[in-house]
Amino acid sequence: MDLKNLTIKKAHELLKKKELTSVELTELFLKNIKEKDGDIHAFLSLNEEEATQAAKKVDERISRGEPIEMLAGIPAAIKDNILIRGTKVTAASKILENYIAPYDATVIKKLKEEEAIFIGKTNMDEFAMGSSTENSAFGPTRNPVDLERVPGGSSGGSAAAVKAGFSVYALGSDTGGSIRQPAGFCGVVGFKPTYGAVSRHGLIAMASSLDQIGPIARNVDDAAAVFEIIRGVDELDSTSVDLDWQDYWDSPLDIEEIKIGVPREYFIHGLNPKIEKNIKSVISKLEKEGAKIEEISLPYSEWALATYYIIMPAEVSANLARFDGIRYGYSTINKEERLQNLFDVYLKSRGKGFGAEVRRRIMLGTYILSAGYYDAYYTRAQKVRRLIKQDFDRAFKEVDVIITPTSPTTAFKFGEKTQDPLSMYLADVYTVSVNLAGVPGISIPVANEQGLPVGLQLIGKNFDDVKLLKIAKIVEQLIKEMT
Amino acid sequence: MALTKKEVEKIAELARLGLAEKEKEKFAEDLSSVLGYVQKLSEVNIEKVESITGGTSLESVMRKDDETKCISDPQMRKQILSASPNREDDYFKVPSILD
Repeated sequence: MDLKNLTIKKAHELLKKKELTSVELTELFLKNIKEKDGDIHAFLSLNEEEATQAAKKVDERISRGEPIEMLAGIPAAIKDNILIRGTKVTAASKILENYIAPYDATVIKKLKEEEAIFIGKTNMDEFAMGSSTENSAFGPTRNPVDLERVPGGSSGGSAAAVKAGFSVYALGSDTGGSIRQPAGFCGVVGFKPTYGAVSRHGLIAMASSLDQIGPIARNVDDAAAVFEIIRGVDELDSTSVDLDWQDYWDSPLDIEEIKIGVPREYFIHGLNPKIEKNIKSVISKLEKEGAKIEEISLPYSEWALATYYIIMPAEVSANLARFDGIRYGYSTINKEERLQNLFDVYLKSRGKGFGAEVRRRIMLGTYILSAGYYDAYYTRAQKVRRLIKQDFDRAFKEVDVIITPTSPTTAFKFGEKTQDPLSMYLADVYTVSVNLAGVPGISIPVANEQGLPVGLQLIGKNFDDVKLLKIAKIVEQLIKEMT
Repeated sequence: MALTKKEVEKIAELARLGLAEKEKEKFAEDLSSVLGYVQKLSEVNIEKVESITGGTSLESVMRKDDETKCISDPQMRKQILSASPNREDDYFKVPSILD
């Protein structure tokens, strides 16, 4: 069985035709994980028993001749900041090392109704803060394409799991590129839906106005199949939106009807020329096949990263205030003999429980929001955020979709950017605007440069997720024809 | 934009974060470099621009305060309480807050 190339559709057919049971499929993936995850470290924990139990249930239904849902019986990997009731959820942080989720995230509830199989929880940068998984408190994940290199982040474990054949698809979360960038680095598809399309209830919050859950998969069809299940309004997330969604599976789009914008600000200094060449050749191919290509401008792109590094840490400092060493998580409250006061418990529990990058961002946010600096930093950033959003609103009056590279470089080596946080932040330069504007974005693999995957990003209009996926499918098909 | 060690200590105190003595210099350096970078926003003319206050244009979304939506069964309640490191019956126990 070629686990590395098994798609949802193929797995579904195999189960339906009884060529394979869900228990067998689950065991094959578990076996592969046990053989190879020692080198890759995509997983923080495995759900062997629960996964096998759930698979048995699906097999019983199949043997009774009942129809099964598209995702039923198919193993998925879940980023370890998404809650599965009764299962450890750590956000790759020491502060949650032994924390058991008391409830299901809404996306998990929805997938359980489909009888999806959760094979394990994947590694990530601590609290999703990072672009390489090197910030995980439990050690980094290695890129299955090249073990000397990072898988990207923060959803690096999820992208690596899909690439390595450890699960058919995975869930990640994306605050500034954390689904798309690792998908690009590992050579898989990563989709960040429109802000509000998917409920964030049960996702451990990083920056609440930017966070969004989405799928990582082997192709666009699979990403769409997962998106269809997890999207929708939820009473427990007041930012989720009630919409009548288009059907992804009805008539495909005609390439001659598509208008594609190429933002000139994304093809400037800092972009690896080989990546530029790859993206440009896809653009030429699209034009040759009849798509309309237009050069556009997103003039405030230059300030997106600076805006992000104000708004994100501000929200981080507020969200992570809940970790206090009192209600749950790591605490020094019983650990020291000297009688501590409450302030000491806070200082020590948080000081020891959080890693360096998390503390860096909490402090940045605290400073930015403190009296005397609030207007100069935070208010200003919220205003520039509006200008960035208006850039996209203007662009989408002219074009259906915007095409860019996912990242300025391919996967880098371990340790290359850990000493200088700012150099790590620049890895997100092409992805953060999408979160600031709330629009959907998808990364699909284009080619390999010296053996390393290159990601192409397509950006759509707010809540035009289905159209974006349909266009992504066309681009995916063209890329296949090119190679 | 260079933060002093003293300023870092003050921020860490506001954020309720314990820092080891030897980390303070490195944090001062890192935070200064990021704050230096975000100064870039002073180049943008923001006159007459209104702030964005969230990720969507939704306003005042209401729902009934129904605890069964969040804590749906006694088992869940038990799990939530038992996650506390220091508890007495159904209360979280904290050290004295007055010296």
